[in-house]
Parts: sequence; structure tokens; C-alpha cells
Amino acid sequence: MSIFHGMNTSGSALTANRFKMDVVSSNLANANTTRAQMNEDGEFEPYRRKLVSQEPRDASFNSFLQKSMNRSSNPGTGVRVQSIEEDQSPFEQVYNPSHPDANEDGYVQMPNVDPLKEMLDLMSTSRSYEANVTALNASKGLLMKSLEIGR
Amino acid sequence: MQLFDQTIHNLQRGLDYSSVKNQTIAHNISNVNTPNYKAKQVSFKDEFESAKLEALRTDERHIPFSNNHSPFSISARQDVTYNNNGNSVDIDKEMNELAQNQLYYEALTERINGKFNSIKSVVGGR
Amino acid sequence: MKPIESNLFTQGIGKVNQNIQQNNPVTASEVQESFANELKNAINSVNSTQQESNAQTNALINGEADDLHNVMISAEKASVTLQTATEIQNKAIEAYQKIMRMQL
Repeated sequence: MSIFHGMNTSGSALTANRFKMDVVSSNLANANTTRAQMNEDGEFEPYRRKLVSQEPRDASFNSFLQKSMNRSSNPGTGVRVQSIEEDQSPFEQVYNPSHPDANEDGYVQMPNVDPLKEMLDLMSTSRSYEANVTALNASKGLLMKSLEIGR
Repeated sequence: MQLFDQTIHNLQRGLDYSSVKNQTIAHNISNVNTPNYKAKQVSFKDEFESAKLEALRTDERHIPFSNNHSPFSISARQDVTYNNNGNSVDIDKEMNELAQNQLYYEALTERINGKFNSIKSVVGGR
Repeated sequence: MKPIESNLFTQGIGKVNQNIQQNNPVTASEVQESFANELKNAINSVNSTQQESNAQTNALINGEADDLHNVMISAEKASVTLQTATEIQNKAIEAYQKIMRMQL
């Protein structure tokens, strides 16, 4: 565990948050995409909202070894993105008979993206990014101060 | 006369590494938007690489294969994700590395200053 | 780990003082011996703190150090120990020179 352990942990959170922001941007950009992919029936499906799942970045052999040897003064190594999953909630049906993708009843299937939810995610991700930048600066400040010992 | 111990030599090597790393990180950061640019990293050349092909020269005045005897090798970072334009620079990681490298350089400089001051204080007497 | 030299030194002086107070005759060889011991301890102390500091610094260079403050503290301890030992040596030499200059 090096002297930069705290900074690496905060750095991992910054990367994960930036990744989340990318996913939120992708959701917002595709909020009206009706022809995202082709399903098995040969028909177009609209864009499915993407979700990011995170896990603590602990799962390395070294950390399990330390834990089993009861030497766990290990405060953990941060966060990583585990997977991107698709939101399985049903598509929105909007009545728009003149739309090229309307079915026989005149309904179009729109992506299950709610702009309000995405805006909330955006704000919370960006606050989390700022908080992690503060944590990283605090770690850096500690190290700079320790360099002044004995100066 | 052996004034400088192995630790000072190690500190010197550490500072060399740190300065090469700084240049690499700056290069990465400046190319954060370049399409198809792969992020680079610095590592110590291992024994195998440094013992590679030397030209067989029948006369000392012949030109050798390479006169680059630096102990570091610059390679592309693995375990990175790529943007849609082929760029693999993670700006957060690069900024983090920049800050850490700066601290590392300052710590090593403090230590080498301390060692030289100790030597000077003993040599100088009072 | 041994305390710093001034403690050892004063302990040595204290032993001699104790002898004087108890009206035990203090021989010159006893004083010499206690001072020689303290000097030997001082040199050992300098050596051990320097080695500890070198070990910590090498760990820092290789990225294996756990805490930066421990590296800086051990370096400072080594430096102070070395300076103290140098000062003690200087003072001892100075005292010797003064005594040699005495007109008897």
C-alpha cells in the first residue's frame, strides 16, 4: 500500500463518475431514438435506457489474502464500474400515427428514458465528482505538509 | 574516496525516472483529444530488454546499433478503455498521476538535499 | 531504540556525580571508561538511525513506503543524531585542547 493510496482511491472514483456522466449523456442524446437496434423478429427496437452498476474495487487477490491473514487494516481501494445494464422497464407508447415507426394502432414505441431522472443523475454524479476532487486535494495537502517535516 | 552511498545513487535514479514520467504524462495530457492516440507509460527496462542485440563490431570505430542506453522504456498503457475516436487517454488518471509524480519528485528532492546537507555538516566540522 | 546521546551522556555524568556524592573516590579511569562507553553508544545510535533512514528512503524510491511522514521523521532523526554526535565530538576535542593549553 503506497503513500498514494488515498489519491488512487479518489482517482478511481473520478474515473467511475466520468463514465457515469458519459452514460447519462448517451441516455439524454438518445431520448427519442426509435430505431436503436434490431431484435430477433427483424424489427427495430427503440433505445433502452442504460444504467451503470458500480462495485468496490477491492476484489484483488492481494486484498483477499490480507483479509484472510487478519491483517485487514485495509481501508479499501475505491470503486470501479462493474457493468452497464439496460433498464428493463417497458417502452413508452406514444400516439403518433404519422410517425414512420407507428404500428397498426398508430402507437410509436419511444425509449424508456425520462429526462427528469437523467437530470437528477447528472446533478448527483457531478456533485459526487466534485466531492472526490476535494478528497483528492485533501490527500495531496496531507502529503505536501509531511514533506515539510524537518524543513 | 567514497563520499556518496548507494541511497544517493538510488535517489538519483528515482529522480531520472520521475522526470521522464513527467514528460510522458504531459505528452498524454496534450493528446487528450487526438484520435487513435494510445496513452503511454514509463517503466524500468527489465534485464532481458537491456541485454538485447548489440552489433558485432570488428573495429571500435564502427557505429553501434543504438546509443540509447536509458534504463526506461516507454510503452502503451494496457487495461484502458478507448473512446469512439480510438483515443485511450483518461484525463482523470493522467491528472492524478501528474500530482503524484510531482509529490514523488519533491519528496526525493527533499531527501537528497537532506543527505547532502548531512555530508556537508560533517565535512565542515563546526 | 536507544534514546539520543544527550540522555546517555547525562546518565554517564550522573553516575560519576552519584559516586562523588556518596563520597566514593572517583578514579580517572572510571570517568574515562564511562565517557568511552557513551561515545561508543553514540556512534552506534548514529549508525542505526542512518541505516533506518536509508531503508525507509529506499522503500520510498521503490514505491513501497507505507507513509510519507515516517520516511521524513526517520530522516530527521538520523540528521539530528548525526549533528548531536558531531557536536559532542567537537566539544570533547575543544575541552582536550583547552586542558592541553593550561599552564601548570
